[in-house]
Amino acid sequence: MLKIIVPTAMLMPMTWLSKPNMIWINSTTYSLLISLISLPYLNQLGDNSLNLSLLFFSDSLSAPLLVLTTWLLPLMLMASQSHLSKETLSRKKLYITMLIILQLLLIMTFTATELIMFYILFEATLIPTLIIITRWGNQTERLNAGLYFLFYTLMGSLPLLVALLYIQNTTGTLNFLVIQYWAKPISATWSNIFLWLACMMAFMVKMPLYGLHLWLPKAHVEAPIAGSMVLAAVLLKLGGYGMMRITILLNPATNQMAYPFMMLSLWGMVMTSSICLRQTDLKSLIAYSSVSHMALVIVAVLIQTPWSYMGATALMIAHGLTSSMLFCLANSNYERVHSRTMILARGLQTILPLMAAWWLLASLANLALPPTINLIGELFVVVASFSWSNMTIVLMGTNIIITALYTLYMLTTTQRGKYTHHIKNINPSFTRENALMALHLLPLLLLSLNPKIVLG
Amino acid sequence: MLRRTLLLGLCRGPLGRGLGTHRGGSILDRDGKMSEIKKKIQSILPGGDWNPLYDTSHLPPESSDVVIVGGGVLGLSVAYWLKKLEKPRGAIRVLVVERDHTYSRASTVLSVGGIRQQFSVPENVQLSLFSIDFLRNINEYLAVADDPPLDIQFNPSGYLLLASEKGAAIMENNVKEGAKVCLMSPEQLRNKFPWINTEGVALASYGMEHEGWFDPWCLLQGLRRKVQSMGVLFCRGEVTRFMSSSNLMKTASGEEVNLKRIHEVHVKIDQSLEYQPVECAIVINAAGAWSGQVAELAGIGKGPPGTLQGTKLPVELRKRYVYLWHCPQGPGLETPFVIDPSGTYFRREGLGHNYLGGCSPTEEEEPDPGNLEVDHDFFQDRVWPPLAQRVPAFETLKVRSAWAGYYDYNTFDQNGVVGPHPLVINMYFATGFSGHGLQQAPAVGRAVAEMVLEGHFQTINLSSFLFSRFYSGEKVQEHNII
Repeated sequence: MLKIIVPTAMLMPMTWLSKPNMIWINSTTYSLLISLISLPYLNQLGDNSLNLSLLFFSDSLSAPLLVLTTWLLPLMLMASQSHLSKETLSRKKLYITMLIILQLLLIMTFTATELIMFYILFEATLIPTLIIITRWGNQTERLNAGLYFLFYTLMGSLPLLVALLYIQNTTGTLNFLVIQYWAKPISATWSNIFLWLACMMAFMVKMPLYGLHLWLPKAHVEAPIAGSMVLAAVLLKLGGYGMMRITILLNPATNQMAYPFMMLSLWGMVMTSSICLRQTDLKSLIAYSSVSHMALVIVAVLIQTPWSYMGATALMIAHGLTSSMLFCLANSNYERVHSRTMILARGLQTILPLMAAWWLLASLANLALPPTINLIGELFVVVASFSWSNMTIVLMGTNIIITALYTLYMLTTTQRGKYTHHIKNINPSFTRENALMALHLLPLLLLSLNPKIVLG
Repeated sequence: MLRRTLLLGLCRGPLGRGLGTHRGGSILDRDGKMSEIKKKIQSILPGGDWNPLYDTSHLPPESSDVVIVGGGVLGLSVAYWLKKLEKPRGAIRVLVVERDHTYSRASTVLSVGGIRQQFSVPENVQLSLFSIDFLRNINEYLAVADDPPLDIQFNPSGYLLLASEKGAAIMENNVKEGAKVCLMSPEQLRNKFPWINTEGVALASYGMEHEGWFDPWCLLQGLRRKVQSMGVLFCRGEVTRFMSSSNLMKTASGEEVNLKRIHEVHVKIDQSLEYQPVECAIVINAAGAWSGQVAELAGIGKGPPGTLQGTKLPVELRKRYVYLWHCPQGPGLETPFVIDPSGTYFRREGLGHNYLGGCSPTEEEEPDPGNLEVDHDFFQDRVWPPLAQRVPAFETLKVRSAWAGYYDYNTFDQNGVVGPHPLVINMYFATGFSGHGLQQAPAVGRAVAEMVLEGHFQTINLSSFLFSRFYSGEKVQEHNII
């Protein structure tokens, strides 16, 4: 594990000491190399976890997420090059440093052994993200968005700290490997209900659950591209990962307690998908679609069957890559037209055909086309929830249809039709942008050949 | 602490009178500090945009999809139709930048307010026809909940254009489809309007329907109110700079052109050095008489003359005078808007024998457009004699007041410029109507909105009014210009 953490930490001095025309090249290539180092962790041996030290471990749940995180850093750096080109040198270096710190904290979070360490790092990831959103965001509303983002998550996770300390006192340890065997079953008494709520609320806010999702569209729309990418791809998965870890401690109270959240997720899924149909701002549409996909993950985690866990992990990885790619595509549009409104930049297929191909593939992945892992994840979750209760199939089916509807709406509005007059002279797609899209899509397509590694 | 409680307990004076009666404000708000604190807390709470460093409420937003330069009737009309025609409601963010919020020099409010369909160019007729339909149904178009209905005081008295021998043939040809016009001989003219002296008049065309005059200020306020209720942002500032990026591209025939797009507009706040860069996708030039200057800011016209790059927007300020006089023996209520062959015009104003009128000066005697001072000698020399000759009752009149306003005069062919510029591809024009902009504003607004949203004109085809005619030289000559 140190072989990933120390190089990532060392990326920071490398950025500050690089020559001005080499900062992007250096940081991108070295972070790509680091992601290659993390790939062997995917080779998990059976049910046990790969214990690397007293502090860090990785098992088949955290390994794919770890690889996703390390893979995303070079992509974020590539995506940010254009909008930072006008800043001063030290600002650029500061931005890259923020991204690297965030990356470091995320790597440590996903591989933490102790739940308290996980918690501390989970909270710590808020700080670089807040700095990125409020300092480099696009509009004045970003201050508002940053506030929403920070306080929603903090409010949710404060009870978690109390709960974790309580569990530490009663069970004697919070080391993840040990606590699997030492966890006492808790029934649904009042104090246990509060314990359950305290543990889960932080992750529910982070996911986000439908009733607590207000921070997400704001944060995504106002954040710069790297902020959006890391938010959509990784930070939301922190919630899912945390939920999966902590539900081990909370049986069997989960059977009763899960009902309200299941209802909220199922209903929220359909609701946020429908909201997507009425969105006019491209980034806002993708943000709401994130909420919708994550609601599926919440349903999967709360059901707690093996199939649903597999579906949840696959869905998390798939959604991470797809969402991040869609944000990059939306950003490439925004950099050219300077407006995020969909109807103002239409008919891009005739002007930028290769970008249209990436748009098509990303949209197809988003609507869970077979044989992508998006489909595998969704299918596993739908099947598991059907076995939990027959009625959920209605809502799930509606969600799949509406997802297809808004994704195709987004595709046809931006790509098809006659192009508008005022976008005639937009710059053609840069190689950097094409490489960015390809690097997003390549893992997604390759994983459909061997989905076993992400199925957890 | 103890002292304060003692004071509160013993001091019955203000409490005895009851809270809220201390000089109209709450007892707690004696210094006005409470309301300031309240305002500050309200701006911090989620839902508002708050800049912690300084107050930015007077500045325009940092980005807007469409920036409309100029908040007169044309600019507001474009804003209205953009918001009305956008497919998903609330999709486009529009910002209207107006330098003068009192509209003291705007051509809209200084206009005589007439509307007619007697044009020779068919597009002009269609524009005016739609506009009169808009004005007739203004309370359906511009209704705002809880606000009183608009009364634009439309007087449907019609226009009377008089033509001499030379102009008679042209006038006969000019009667176009859609306009309800009646051609009258001098005999018929004398029968209908006994106060007219028909000497020198060979033919007269009288608009029977949809012509007259209205109150432009009411239209402006109605549009402003409606547009604000639709969510358009207003900013009081001046556009000082356009930041644009250019791309060298090849046309189909292989020649290289430099296409520019404006990505930022610098809006300078009134009486201050502060400016706000507004990121935008589309800019609409509806600055009226000052459109030429705004176009120059965007780099239109900077190039070797004779090329498309070097073609300037030929819209200039031209000063026109309007005089208001009183004549007790003057023509009565049925007086139309009379236009003499010499170019003098007048119309009835109100019910007390007051008349508005003026004359367009010839090229040589153009007044200096530097200020809006009125030249009364112009009335004596150029306006009164033809008036008195045409309407003998006007030999005794008394000028009550006068004012001057600007025409956004299109020196090329005195007709409007509508649509995008071929080189600065995200600047659209809605200007240059040379005196008949007010009457065509609703229709032009709709045409520009269609162009922005769809990419082509849908209802009225104004492709002959595009900018490219200045380069290709095809004039859209209007024969009935006042």
